[in-house]
Amino acid sequence: MKASARLVVSPDPHGNSVVRVLRSMTPLTLVPARRVGPVALVHLVSSVTAPLGGDSLSLTVEVERGASLELRGVAATLLLPGSSGAESSSLVRFHVQGNLCYKPEPTVVTGRANHTAVVEAELDGHAQLRTREVLVLGRAGEASGALSSTVRATRCGKPLLHQQLVVGSPSIDGSPAGLAGKRVVGTELVLDSVARESDGGEWWSVVPLAAGGTLATALGEDVVTVTRVLDAI
Amino acid sequence: MLTALILADSRFPGGGHVHSGGLEEAAARGLVSDEPSLRSFLHGRLVGAGLLAAGFAAAAARGEDLDVLDAELDARTPSPAQREASRAQGRGMLRAARRAWPSERLAALPRDPHQPLVIGVLVDDPFEAALTCAYLAVSGPASAAVRLLGLDPFGVNAIVAGLPVQDVASRACKELPALGSPALDLLAEAHLRREGVRLFGS
Repeated sequence: MKASARLVVSPDPHGNSVVRVLRSMTPLTLVPARRVGPVALVHLVSSVTAPLGGDSLSLTVEVERGASLELRGVAATLLLPGSSGAESSSLVRFHVQGNLCYKPEPTVVTGRANHTAVVEAELDGHAQLRTREVLVLGRAGEASGALSSTVRATRCGKPLLHQQLVVGSPSIDGSPAGLAGKRVVGTELVLDSVARESDGGEWWSVVPLAAGGTLATALGEDVVTVTRVLDAI
Repeated sequence: MLTALILADSRFPGGGHVHSGGLEEAAARGLVSDEPSLRSFLHGRLVGAGLLAAGFAAAAARGEDLDVLDAELDARTPSPAQREASRAQGRGMLRAARRAWPSERLAALPRDPHQPLVIGVLVDDPFEAALTCAYLAVSGPASAAVRLLGLDPFGVNAIVAGLPVQDVASRACKELPALGSPALDLLAEAHLRREGVRLFGS
């Protein structure tokens, strides 16, 4: 299945954020909340079991200057293999001039899945972005499939964060220099002008990025432990 | 080739001996305690952080813009502890290199350059630069393991010799990698916060 969806949020003269363009394509179904206010709320619903091997999904989101959008998932994403053995892919592009918060639910990399995920975020000078990723390596008692997940964020063309996570190779997932055998890895990227001090514990940290912004990273055995760290910033 | 050999030599006075690449913190937590766990650590370090560093060494050796590379490597190094370790080793290497191999290209390096960029400028063959960088990504932590854990130097040397350093260097020449190392980043940050005696700077 190939699908592309698009969402554009603009400000209106009263200071509200309104959804100007909303183009869903199964399985990427965008459901706007019926409310009027400074922050538009849209849920991203997977309306068919996806992604399966062979699927190629793309979502483009634009948030114009003066507008705010909260884009939320509603359920965990299960990455599944297809019958053909082909890989699946997803591409999410953010063009942010206003304020965007993207909080999908966790992604579970089931055994034999083979997925490539890319998130590209382009911010202008004053834009703010908050985005979360929580990966679960396999369902209970299951070995992880293969996933490459890349995030690249730039502000006015300058790179802020460019990070690829690759999971599904037991020798690397289990290495103390890889994922240290942890089943859940989570990151929360916050690109704004707030300066936050470095903080951390045994398997988590909150750190300032070199060119501005903050990244929280947590490794753990379960989603609850990991999201607790991410919720704290 | 000679420059690469000199840079990879543990007697090169670049200050690399004070860095363990996360090994000290991993050993303090008991994550690395013997040869099998050291092999796992070094393998993970090589194909992750090693590949990333080697890719930037190769790109610098190809003559790519050094300021752009410096910013791109910063974006791929979210941990401030890791950025500082890379720049401290770059600084140390540059100090020795200015005396040994003065050149205009060295002067074009940004202030406090990341170590892979210094390696790339000094070793101008991309594969040799990548190989040097990938090897240094594991040789320092390996010798730290001998000192910290009292492991058999012959066993540790055999582990290093068995690592796919050349494969990683070949891959590093193909495209600019962006592989993250979340656990290494967390070990590096925790190492700085650890109270008490530390033998290594990272």
